[in-house]
Amino acid sequence: MDEDTLWEIRAFVYQHFAETARPPGVDEIPRRFALTHAEAVSAFEELHQRHALYLQPGTHAILMANPFSGVETPFRVRANGRTYFANCAWDSLGIPAALHADAEVEAACAQSGEPIRLSVTDGQVRKAEALAHFLIPFRHWYNDLPLT
Amino acid sequence: MNMLFFRSEEALDEWLASHKAERGAVFSIQQLWELSQRWYQDRMSPEYHGRTVKQVQEIFKELGLTSTFWQI
Repeated sequence: MDEDTLWEIRAFVYQHFAETARPPGVDEIPRRFALTHAEAVSAFEELHQRHALYLQPGTHAILMANPFSGVETPFRVRANGRTYFANCAWDSLGIPAALHADAEVEAACAQSGEPIRLSVTDGQVRKAEALAHFLIPFRHWYNDLPLT
Repeated sequence: MNMLFFRSEEALDEWLASHKAERGAVFSIQQLWELSQRWYQDRMSPEYHGRTVKQVQEIFKELGLTSTFWQI
């Protein structure tokens, strides 16, 4: 597969997330890009290898296309009239940053479970009684991404 | 597990103790927003094809993230 098609598929995945808050299935790729099912599977695997998206282990379902999560998480982001799920604290603000949209984030304190609500309006985040902690040094982030 | 929210420094300390974990990098919400904007602002673009190690290092440097935690 040529590079252009590969990155067009990546762009389609992101656009699908933005417009539906869900990832496309691999079955949606062949008709749109005039590919065989095997080529679509190969494209998803290649994008996974390049860290452009992440597949659920043993499947061709998209688990993550950062900042978007393909599954429900405790990091809920309301933006553009949709509810998105983020992969982590960082990605919960990554969604309004990527969409260039206002957003309301609903999450919780990892220790107490108390709700944490953040608000982004006109490119500014409202002050909040909360902090974010990154546990793992950057050089290890890609060792086991779902754990991050 | 890696990137979590806490209500306070005290809550973070309790969590670190209960998980026998060492403190990593801590961000205020404003700092996290600045990092999010810099990291994700171009993510929806069809032209985004990932980043090189050098580009990542540049972003961290711009944001003052220069400790060993951010070294590649």
